[in-house]
Amino acid sequence: MYQTRPWQKVLRYFTIIIVSIMFFFPTYWMITMSFKPKGEWNSAAGTIYWVPQNPTLDNYKTVLTEYRGQFFRANQSSALPSIRSSIVVSIGGTLFALLIGTLAAYGISRHSTDTGDLPWYIAVGRLGLLVLVMLPFIVLWARLGILATWYGILTFTIIGIVADQIIGRVLGKYYKGAVGSLSFSILQLRMFPPMAILIPVMIMWSTFRLIDTWYGLVIVYGVVTFPFVVWLMKSFFDDIPKELDEAAVVDGSSNWRAFFKVVLPLAKGGLASTALFVFILNWSDFLVALLLTSRNWGTIPVFLNKLVSSEIGAQHGPKAALGLLAVIPPVVFGLLIQQYLVRGLTFGAIKK
Amino acid sequence: MANLRLENVTKRFGPITAVKALNLEIRDGEFFSILGPPGAGKTTTLRLIVGLEKPDEGTVYIDGEPANEIHPGKRDIAMVFQNLALYPDKTVFDNMAYPLRERKLPKDEIERLVQATAKSLYIDHLLKRKPAKLSGGERQRVAIGRAMVRKPKAYLLDEPLANLDALLRLEMRVELKRLQGELGQTLVYVTHDQVEAMSMADRIAVLNKGVLQQCDTPEAVYNFPANRFVATTIGSPPTNFVTADVRPHGDNLLLAHSVFALAVEGGRHPARAALESAAAGQALPEKVLIGFRPEDVRVSTSQANGCNVPAQVSVVEPLGGETVVDLRMGGDLVKAVVPPTQRLEERRHVWLNFDPERVHLFDARTGQRVYTTGQGEPFACLEAVH
Amino acid sequence: MASIKLDKLRKQFKEVLAVEGLNLDIEDGMFVAFLGPSGCGKTTTMNMIAGLEQPTSGDLYFDGKRMNDVPAGKRGVGFVFQNYAIFTHMTVYENVGFGLKVRGCPEVEMKREVGKIAELLELTPMLDWNAGKLSINDMQKVALGRSMITNPGIFLLDEPFSNLDASFRAYMRGELKRIQREIKQTMIYVTHDQVEAMSMADRIAVMYCGQLYQWGSPDDVYNRPVNAFVARFIGSPNMNFIECAYEVENGQGFLQQRKGGLRVPVDAKRRRLLEDRTGPNNLILGIRPEHMKVYQQPEPNALWQGTAYALEPLGPLTIAHTEVGGDRVQVKASGGYRTRPGDPQWVALDLEYIHIFDGETKLVIR
Repeated sequence: MYQTRPWQKVLRYFTIIIVSIMFFFPTYWMITMSFKPKGEWNSAAGTIYWVPQNPTLDNYKTVLTEYRGQFFRANQSSALPSIRSSIVVSIGGTLFALLIGTLAAYGISRHSTDTGDLPWYIAVGRLGLLVLVMLPFIVLWARLGILATWYGILTFTIIGIVADQIIGRVLGKYYKGAVGSLSFSILQLRMFPPMAILIPVMIMWSTFRLIDTWYGLVIVYGVVTFPFVVWLMKSFFDDIPKELDEAAVVDGSSNWRAFFKVVLPLAKGGLASTALFVFILNWSDFLVALLLTSRNWGTIPVFLNKLVSSEIGAQHGPKAALGLLAVIPPVVFGLLIQQYLVRGLTFGAIKK
Repeated sequence: MANLRLENVTKRFGPITAVKALNLEIRDGEFFSILGPPGAGKTTTLRLIVGLEKPDEGTVYIDGEPANEIHPGKRDIAMVFQNLALYPDKTVFDNMAYPLRERKLPKDEIERLVQATAKSLYIDHLLKRKPAKLSGGERQRVAIGRAMVRKPKAYLLDEPLANLDALLRLEMRVELKRLQGELGQTLVYVTHDQVEAMSMADRIAVLNKGVLQQCDTPEAVYNFPANRFVATTIGSPPTNFVTADVRPHGDNLLLAHSVFALAVEGGRHPARAALESAAAGQALPEKVLIGFRPEDVRVSTSQANGCNVPAQVSVVEPLGGETVVDLRMGGDLVKAVVPPTQRLEERRHVWLNFDPERVHLFDARTGQRVYTTGQGEPFACLEAVH
Repeated sequence: MASIKLDKLRKQFKEVLAVEGLNLDIEDGMFVAFLGPSGCGKTTTMNMIAGLEQPTSGDLYFDGKRMNDVPAGKRGVGFVFQNYAIFTHMTVYENVGFGLKVRGCPEVEMKREVGKIAELLELTPMLDWNAGKLSINDMQKVALGRSMITNPGIFLLDEPFSNLDASFRAYMRGELKRIQREIKQTMIYVTHDQVEAMSMADRIAVMYCGQLYQWGSPDDVYNRPVNAFVARFIGSPNMNFIECAYEVENGQGFLQQRKGGLRVPVDAKRRRLLEDRTGPNNLILGIRPEHMKVYQQPEPNALWQGTAYALEPLGPLTIAHTEVGGDRVQVKASGGYRTRPGDPQWVALDLEYIHIFDGETKLVIR
């Protein structure tokens, strides 16, 4: 509206520069670190090496090859199996979440009447009530000694779902807005931090013999990221006017065909960005993988964790090298789908 | 061709009743318009006919067959949505071919039908374009083309002209009417614009708050509106209403407004009987609404034949082809349409002269039309009764 | 109260020239309409007057005082927008009085002022109501009252009625005009609806693509349009255009239709103008639907024979679309006029009311 004054400009650029440094310096440090020989890793000697003095590829060699030297007693393998593991479980988990999440999101977008803007005390209240109701069952199941058996887990889950829906419906009588709906149950999953349910999941997974398997991780990743997929994809589907699928239905398509032939092609941009988002979440997970894997399916973050021990010290160089390698897949994936990442699709179909 | 019938159809969305016990019959080959303000239940009615909504009560019949359980795709009815709902990622050709492909027609047949339809709508040069690259009018034609290409039994159009600019709208109005005449198919047209409904439709159904107000020809809804709502909706500027007291005066009845009165002469005047039957229980209603159209009154500086009522010019609104005059008539504000050549200054005292044969009486409580002078004997007019 | 002067006002957004060298003199107390299709620059011009946009070049004066550098809040300008910006949690009284309250006006005076405005707008019975419970129609009245209360010298209204229903819009047109007459403030009304501009304004600025096409009274723009755009934009149903050429035969001047060869004789004055003209013999004949008559039998004065194309009964009148020699014209007929497509029809023109435009420049030849 009015012209900006010079000092405002100076302040603006100053802020931009500071923020840029905060963002880019760690990246710079990781890249240079991966090329530094051991002597330049830390500044114990009092000198900080801003640039590698003697650039070397030794760090990459260390992480990519089997090495049985005196330093690697704790970890005698290369990082290659962990890279494979990361790729398999991240992609698997992403596909699993996308498959069920997209369908759920479409259903919610088109058929659910809830507004999604419940006050937090209703949401938390419902969750709290559920925990309260379920506590006696935990004690009872433990007394019966079936807490860690497959039928115990199954019955507990069923009781939980039923109780959740009953609580929702009862609350719904006092607060309008479809508290008893399925989509709310999905949102509720998100309110449980994965960390809080990890120990029970670990017990379940060991009961079902899913520990240290790729499918065990895929299921957990899929379930943990499923709510993200639902809520992201729902907003993309909401942007596609429902008249488009209705037009297809009137034109003679079945409801399924209308979804696959009309709606999904329009949501592919959203699908791509959701996929990237979920993939990065899975790819960078440490905690779940740490607890649910041991020897065979440890992922890159788990392997990185092993690169420090009291015996070998902190292996900064190899860590940086593997870290840099780990950045590559998401970046490549991002570049591949870049053209779909624009959110604002132009809908020529719609008169505004 | 199709005969569409709604029998006692009710549709609720949660606490809201969108359509209430609606009975409609749309005849074969008819240009049928559904008119009403936003929220009147017009679009819901269309969606009930095509099957995108299921009635909570009542039955939708297509060609006499109950259709409640028939999937929309199997009803053989085409719909043009208000936002047109063209598939944005598909070309014009693919948009128009979509319903044919869903019917598994052979490829060359699809090609031929799309080309022929496109040609008849003058969009055959646009077939390779995507909807985003088309103008508003072209998109409109593509949407109609997509509906036409499969030769359905009936067309349903939801405010198809609402988002076009004024000039294009006038043009499309005529085109659409011609097109329907040529196709000879049943067409249901939803609009909130009374001019569109009047100008195109064979019959109009006026809806308000989900309830059918009147269903008749344009002439009938204009000349004999069923109630106050219809009289206000149809015609621009809307019908004027003034409240009058009903007073027995010997054998006659006086309908007394603050500055004039109409006399219903004689005990056998049909208006008297109509008023009595509307009063329900009482002998006569205490009040009645007198309605007259702005185009049925003349404004002059001297008295003339007919009913002369003193009034004062409040505002003059020249529209070019005609002039609308706002007049203060007692405590009421009424509008009159006068020729553009007539010069009237603001605040001037004039005579409002209305044709006693074109006066409606409406029930003051229910708003239902009770009587129209044109169908029987006119009223005598008494001026300046106080 | 204030007069407004725009001097070569120009506004450029990157590559788009929104308003091009606009000169306007708006007198004190005038009701002015900026009329044009969307994207014509009318809202940008209004925003520059309000101070919401800074002109790229040119000057703006209120009462002879240059306003370019005065911030929006200090210009003494009142607004009413399309989306009735009212506070739904307050009563009507609080809404209308809001402008005075923030200025620290004493309660007694506020009561009096709000009472006056409410009387003017016929809002008195609703003063204690919660504004959120009002109908959309009444909300717009409250919005109007809220900007009136501070008694701004200039009132800017940006399509304030476009969300209202048709019958109430017709009512509000008369009301707004009456209110403006009573408060006598300068009003600028932005609209794309020619009916609103015509019915309310003293002066209309018809704009198109950032240019001012015509500045005149409703009578001027309707009866003396300066170009084909204005002629077609004003009036409903819109003016008929027929491409033609000027011919002379047997000492008599004619406009000869390009498509069909039908002829319209021209009078001596127009003849002189047409003969003095240089450039291609490429003309547009314009005539309004109300200046034509349509008959179902031949009539002595009905020059043209054609066929009925479509009929639009509108109640008090009917629009008869007729094909005459390849052109399609619309003619106003009486409410009861009925034909079927394809029927023969005869059309008479009122030669006094024809307009002739240059086919290239689209400017009127007068």
